[in-house]
Amino acid sequence: MAAKVKLPSKLIDKLADLPEQGMGYQVVNITLKNGKILVDRRIVNSTYLLLLDNEHLMTSDIENVELFK
Amino acid sequence: MIFKAQPQFTQSLLLLPETGMGYQIIDAKRYGRHTTDRFIIYNSELIVDYDNLDANKRQIVLEGYTKMLSQSSFIELDSPTLVRRSVASNIRMFSESSMKNKGRYSGGSGSVDNDPIYANGTDIFVRLSAYSDDKRIDFNKMRLKDGTYTTTEADYLTCKKYNDDPIDRYALPNDEPIKWAFYVRPKSNDKYRPGIVQPANNHNGGGIEALFDNGTSDGTYLEKKPY
Repeated sequence: MAAKVKLPSKLIDKLADLPEQGMGYQVVNITLKNGKILVDRRIVNSTYLLLLDNEHLMTSDIENVELFK
Repeated sequence: MIFKAQPQFTQSLLLLPETGMGYQIIDAKRYGRHTTDRFIIYNSELIVDYDNLDANKRQIVLEGYTKMLSQSSFIELDSPTLVRRSVASNIRMFSESSMKNKGRYSGGSGSVDNDPIYANGTDIFVRLSAYSDDKRIDFNKMRLKDGTYTTTEADYLTCKKYNDDPIDRYALPNDEPIKWAFYVRPKSNDKYRPGIVQPANNHNGGGIEALFDNGTSDGTYLEKKPY
């Protein structure tokens, strides 16, 4: 089962009002506090970022989220 | 890469049989080259490199067929020869055969490529989730939020009837088991875009999807049941 990390609550609220790209998920870009941008990533239930293999992130690492276009 | 067919090339493709519903797989030479490449062509007009097919398909699903067609560059191809489906991918054939046995659809188009239609006020739609606190449902107003996907109750029941894998049927990225089904009965003034779940997230899709761009009316959420 894919590891996942919970988004900060303000970003969960933000995503909950943005459209889905499929049932139960959104495709997003994630901006981290260190400036790195994670592109074309999956968020489930507007709440959890699905992590890649050997990827380690914490909620506090996440700065912002926007829909991938 | 994804390209657009020259009108004359589209006409030549229309003289060839389809490989499957709505698509053709061909070998052809690009203009000025001597080697042959393989392409899958949707509706005899949208040309997709067969290499890296999954990523290209995902791009089409995300952007939408119409947008991809309008923004893609023309490509000049020559000497197209149809590729027999059995040669193109035996594995895919087995997969599609298995899909049909489970009441799934192949080809077609996703919700994002279809026009909205009105609900009839009686049909029920279902959202499947691993989570009991589905964020796409406004539990205060008892409605779906804008931009929410569901499937139909009929397709959900088909999925259950054939003991199908909902994660593959609805091409979900999350491999957590589905635990909950949320039932919604949209009113007759609610619109949705129907479609067939396209391959995505390394899954086949083939289930029915319905995208409620403007959500549903207040009081349309019915109940939550265990999957």
